[in-house]
Amino acid sequence: MRTAAAAEWGATARSFSLAGQGAQVLHVRHLITAGLLWVVLTAVGELLVIADLYPTVGSHEAQDFDDIFRFLLLLGVPVMTFVFAVLIYAGLQFRIRTAVPAEDGPAMRGHGWFPRAWLAVTGCLAIFVMIYPGLTGLAELQQGDRGASGWGDQDAEVIIKASAFKWQWLFEYPDGTQVSVAAGKELVLPNETSIKFEINAIDVVHSLWIPAFRMKIDAIPGRTTYVTVKPNKLGDYASDQAYRVQCAELCGLDHAAMMFPIRVVEPGEFQSWLASLNQGGN
Amino acid sequence: MHALKSVAGAAGLGMIGFYLGLGFVAVLRAMLGYPDAWGGEINIVGGYVLGVIGWLMGIGMWGTWSREWFGLKTYQRQAPGWQRYFTFNTDHKVIGIQYLVTFVVVFLLAGTIALGMRLELASSGMQFISHSQYNGAMGLHGILMIAVAVASVIGGTGNYAVPLMIGADDMAFPRLNALTFWLIPPVAVALLATPFLGGIETGWTAYPPLSTTTNSSQILFDLAIITFGLTSILGGLNFLITIIFMRAPGMTWGRLPIFVWSMFVTSWLALLYTQGFAVALLMIMLDRVAGMAFFNAEAGGDPLLYQHVFWFYSHPAVYIMVIPGFGIALEVISHFSRKPLFAYRYAVGAFLGILGLSGVVWAHHMFTSGMPNYLHGPFLVATELISIPTGLVFLSALGTIWMGKLWLQTPMLFAMAVIFNFACGGVTGIFLADVPTDIHLHDTYFVVAHFHYTIVGGEIFALFAGIYYWFPKMTGRMYNETLAKLHFWWMFIGFNLTFFTMHLPGVKGMNRRVADFPESLDNLNMLVSISGWLLGLSFLVFIYNMINAWIRGPVAESNPWRARTLEWQVSSPPPHENFPEQPVIKGHPYDYGVPGSVHGVFPNAIASAPAAGTAGGGQ
Repeated sequence: MRTAAAAEWGATARSFSLAGQGAQVLHVRHLITAGLLWVVLTAVGELLVIADLYPTVGSHEAQDFDDIFRFLLLLGVPVMTFVFAVLIYAGLQFRIRTAVPAEDGPAMRGHGWFPRAWLAVTGCLAIFVMIYPGLTGLAELQQGDRGASGWGDQDAEVIIKASAFKWQWLFEYPDGTQVSVAAGKELVLPNETSIKFEINAIDVVHSLWIPAFRMKIDAIPGRTTYVTVKPNKLGDYASDQAYRVQCAELCGLDHAAMMFPIRVVEPGEFQSWLASLNQGGN
Repeated sequence: MHALKSVAGAAGLGMIGFYLGLGFVAVLRAMLGYPDAWGGEINIVGGYVLGVIGWLMGIGMWGTWSREWFGLKTYQRQAPGWQRYFTFNTDHKVIGIQYLVTFVVVFLLAGTIALGMRLELASSGMQFISHSQYNGAMGLHGILMIAVAVASVIGGTGNYAVPLMIGADDMAFPRLNALTFWLIPPVAVALLATPFLGGIETGWTAYPPLSTTTNSSQILFDLAIITFGLTSILGGLNFLITIIFMRAPGMTWGRLPIFVWSMFVTSWLALLYTQGFAVALLMIMLDRVAGMAFFNAEAGGDPLLYQHVFWFYSHPAVYIMVIPGFGIALEVISHFSRKPLFAYRYAVGAFLGILGLSGVVWAHHMFTSGMPNYLHGPFLVATELISIPTGLVFLSALGTIWMGKLWLQTPMLFAMAVIFNFACGGVTGIFLADVPTDIHLHDTYFVVAHFHYTIVGGEIFALFAGIYYWFPKMTGRMYNETLAKLHFWWMFIGFNLTFFTMHLPGVKGMNRRVADFPESLDNLNMLVSISGWLLGLSFLVFIYNMINAWIRGPVAESNPWRARTLEWQVSSPPPHENFPEQPVIKGHPYDYGVPGSVHGVFPNAIASAPAAGTAGGGQ
């Protein structure tokens, strides 16, 4: 393996009409300059990690999502900029300026240690990302409940039944109060309380997505899916459009308009709101 | 005149067949006592089947092929010059160009639809079109572009280049090859007819129960895609047999050009998985016309079943699209870097690794579908693993350009852009493969941006690399290099502006397949729309350059790129049987910089042959 690598290096060196050592120095200089370009591009690219790319953080789950997203950016940017750096550097440094190529490049065939090292590094990166944040995050989301279909803790403080139909939502609180475009006109949720949505579809496949909570699961005819969220910030649709239940699975004509406003309030206010809705002759 | 007679006659027979089919089913329905003999979707099915048969017979399958079934003598219509492109021609070079031109036209059409969509999406609220029109346009854009992505590189450059590159005189089954092309026009007609039956409401994915209850355009969609799947399967079979049995003497597997390897792997994928899509749509069709209930929950069916069957094809399909793209990119990069393809064996291993893994990753499209929790882990693992072979493609590409003598002609620029774009598309893929991030990002514009980076950035850029690379070989004329470079930079900048920006509204909370969105995303969408139009206009340069060069361009040399593979060792365009005599392969196709190396030779060098004696020796 070592000799193959050495032979390769030698072939590279010989192909220049310089003395072997001179070519090697030149090669090292290319490596260093391209490496510096990589570092610069990475430094610029990593600005994405600190940039605010996200909707409002409205729940603990949303905070987790943003952290994982930033972590993947942190890892992904150098991979991307490595490819960019080599392409840009090679495009600028190795291009020929004659009308047609007058000579061939060195016959580096890629035997030896380099492809193996590449395989090892990319393999480790893939397996690392697979385990963290992939499988660890998944375990947290599924809470070990392997037969169910949904995200988060099955035991929640408030359970809301959500029915999806073409092209709106109907929500039912534990006390039987229903809200929809016809009644209530907004989904009010208590802050810092775990809320489980049990989701059904009447007609076709829909999907319940709340951008502020970064959570989504499909509503399927004939099955019940669930998603549990714990809001951590007061907010409402009128001032922040991330507070909405949005259908995220194409469901026909008015799919784009299948949206329902959310308002997150303090638990006390939530109770009085619920009571007021019941008094309103619901 | 020949062309007009051929196509008009076939269209006429197709129409006759269509109405016969409609009527035949109507008679059956009347006899069985249905109240509306003409009203069922099953009438359309009957009409379509007989219509396709009529069309095929009319275009020349009858004379070239079917007469044989009845013990009659076959004949092939001879049309002169360009008119042969409008007949049932069995020459793989003709078929390759038929595919390429057809799908470039479809690409431009579907791209124009996208420009219309971006016009509507430039700002929130509804400006130009209704929700219904938007959905129809979006579905049509999707399925037409999927067709382009599946068939343009394989059917076009694959058909044209593979037999030439392996030293064969044609494909293994030339008539089958012609059949796969001539099945495309009925597909196009059926898809373009969908707006008249209400428009595709379901996107190209056609999830039930929406697709089993939507308007009747769905039945045309199903029939078209089942036909299209048939062309994919037959084409894949043809390529496999050709590559396995028709290689020139000395063309061992280890000397196979990388583009041929990519077509080999792709053909396996097409052969193994395409029936998934066809079966899924057949089940939709049976639910609709035969009263079955595969996907009707109330009657005991399961909507999720469809998604599994559908993605079982449709994920491997993205490799059907992108592996030939990698193949073209690596091929071009080696020739234009004047260096051997770096880590050739690893690149081949990468393709085979993707082939092996592609069948066990489909459910990563279904992480939020409500499938049981125990399925997420295995599919997450398999999906992350597939990034390892993909990484080897980058190893090969970057290793080849490193220290090369880069000849930055247009094909090389496009090939390098493939690697550039796919780096971005690959990294954003990690966010979608990891369940915790996918839950938010699934079905948002982040996904739309991601798959445009992989499919357009990875494959369509390679398609253009291939078009510019083989243009002189196909037409015998040279395109204008300055205009081609203008097209490249214009398209490259427009593409990256459009689709890099498009990630942001996705993360911010814009779901896909919507005609309207929250006002807070107005600025980003305006930027995407303007960039999208910039991208769209770049193709005007391409169209002008291609048409102009094909008609008036300077005559091309037989080997303008000084490349070593076999197709460049014959005249441009090559003679009908490809090679004046059987070439013999003596060495590796990419041995640039190896003194005295040869790839192919013509042992009995005919004096008049353009590449007498050794072909493609090292310089």
